[in-house]
Amino acid sequence: MPSHLNVPTKYWELTKEVPPPPIERDIKSWIIANPSDPLWDIDVLPLTYTDSRWSAFVVRVDAATRQRLCPNPPLTVWDGENADLVEYWYVDHKNTMLGPYLEFGVTISASYKDPKGNVWKAGYYPYMYLTGDAPVDAGRVLGFPKKMSYIRCSVHGGEKGTDFFGFAMSRNGYLLHSATGKFDDKQVTPPFFYGKVDWGKFNMKVITRPDVSSSEWQLTYLPSELPPAFNIKGHRFQIKPEHTRTASSDAINWFAQATPFDNMGAEIKIQEVTGLISFVFDLIIPPAKVLWTETYERPASYRGYATPYKYGLRQQFPISQGS
Amino acid sequence: MGLQANEYSYPWLAEGEVPPLPLDRDRIHIISQGVADPVFDYDIIPLTYTESRWMAYVIRADLKDMKAVTPEPIQIQDDVIEFWYVIHRNTMLGPYMEMGVTFSANVDSGDGQIYKAGYYPYMYLSNDSPIFAGKEPFGFPKKAAYIAAFEHGTNNNYFNMLMERRGYILHTANGRYSDKPLSVRPTFYGKTDWGRMNYRITTRPDVTNSIHEVTYLPSELPPGFGTGHRFQLNPASIRTATGADIRSWYMSGTPFDFMGGQIPATEVVGLISFTFNLIIPPAKTIWTKTVERTEADFGSILYSTPFKYTMRHRFLLPQYSQG
Repeated sequence: MPSHLNVPTKYWELTKEVPPPPIERDIKSWIIANPSDPLWDIDVLPLTYTDSRWSAFVVRVDAATRQRLCPNPPLTVWDGENADLVEYWYVDHKNTMLGPYLEFGVTISASYKDPKGNVWKAGYYPYMYLTGDAPVDAGRVLGFPKKMSYIRCSVHGGEKGTDFFGFAMSRNGYLLHSATGKFDDKQVTPPFFYGKVDWGKFNMKVITRPDVSSSEWQLTYLPSELPPAFNIKGHRFQIKPEHTRTASSDAINWFAQATPFDNMGAEIKIQEVTGLISFVFDLIIPPAKVLWTETYERPASYRGYATPYKYGLRQQFPISQGS
Repeated sequence: MGLQANEYSYPWLAEGEVPPLPLDRDRIHIISQGVADPVFDYDIIPLTYTESRWMAYVIRADLKDMKAVTPEPIQIQDDVIEFWYVIHRNTMLGPYMEMGVTFSANVDSGDGQIYKAGYYPYMYLSNDSPIFAGKEPFGFPKKAAYIAAFEHGTNNNYFNMLMERRGYILHTANGRYSDKPLSVRPTFYGKTDWGRMNYRITTRPDVTNSIHEVTYLPSELPPGFGTGHRFQLNPASIRTATGADIRSWYMSGTPFDFMGGQIPATEVVGLISFTFNLIIPPAKTIWTKTVERTEADFGSILYSTPFKYTMRHRFLLPQYSQG
């Protein structure tokens, strides 16, 4: 006789740790689909992080490259002090409301002038990669340009237990980036926005209609100063300085490349890897403001780029079983 | 130390293997974020599939349970559920594994038309691009999971499926094909007047509102692609197994994924497998509702305690395996 077993018990409801599914709640508390069991839910909010380790390579990038990567309209690249310093960063998130995950991103200093003349200054993210599905989706709601990739972050060994570093990222079988080395704790100049509460973060969200007839672009802004409700004064990145390590350019081995699936290595022309700054921090991510929108319409005849049933280079790679 | 290289070349472009870089295109050719390198790009359109292998368990569940996980205005028609796995070998999104659940349902769109369709309350995939290409424009309820589904042995007589997420097994089943007929099939099988439906929720970055939509994918082939069902099944590839042929079946709800706890099978009727080609056209929005939130509503969606991590926030660090 075959064995068929279904285990419908919901023992996690014995405590209040897990909210009931959206379908059993007021519709105002449904944030994303599906209402029976969303990819992430209200137990993600407020979105906090504890003891994450941020490891940011600081790279020098010319103005033409930075301007190309910051969509104009509406963005303008920062042309003030240390304008050419771009953050090229990895994070090991140990405790978050979205669970643990690894992350990579690029941040460029930019600004936006709204129709009233207000100037919004922020780090803009043209590229981001993560290891978990829920933080990718939750971030994309706010406009983060997140994809999934294989990421490794190691800060380990030596006398202090954090003397050596190794970072790597690959996707669809291609290596995007790898860097290794040893912290020498020499001074590294950070990008201009570091530590400034009047510099937030920018993202460009794209919402495409189900019939693909249009896409709305939204410039979103995350302030760096926390809303009063959080009862914490200062920057929402709360750094724990005792864990900070740095490495100078001479202490870093580095390789980056473009792949058929990910163009970052072709688009970011790096003039110099100036150093690495690594620190431990707590973080709160608040909701984002929408500062600018524009909608791009497509004609009914729109057909995209592919030829039906013909599969090219970008459609062929080893099948994954998922993680 | 200090050895560094950046490979900027992008040879696939000159050879016509990849589309122009997103930043060199008109904005109508950007269909998702990030705008510098979208998670799914316009070379997925039109979205076609060749020689995918569909392996669908037919199960029954308690109609009351099915209705309890289905939002209005979607009405459930009967208790026969398609509980399916797919190996996608050739697609515009690359190869991937997929699992989903389909209920027979209908929607009164309020303009005198009744739409009949398979409704998807749960879906899981192995790769990021098909997750977000399905989820963002169309509303497919996709999450990432580890999925193994295959046929093997003499004449591919044996089958096995396994799905896991965050260390918990959601489902597994295995057995041997007998090629005997099943006592019942899902109502929508082979019918071109039955489409597919999803429940899409798009939340503003500032969380002040969410737009709820029921999206509908027709089953007839789009103009220019011939006539008939857009699932083009190869009849010679069909294999079947009855409930008695399914040697083992285990399904369980988990703290991260409610499916097994929400729709436990009251009967495992059998398995139908077939090979097919497919085209996924743009979707039509047949019902919409905007839910607004005021300041007073935010209390109920801030479910967690800042910097306190609970059962759903703690699991093994995910390593995306498509690296």
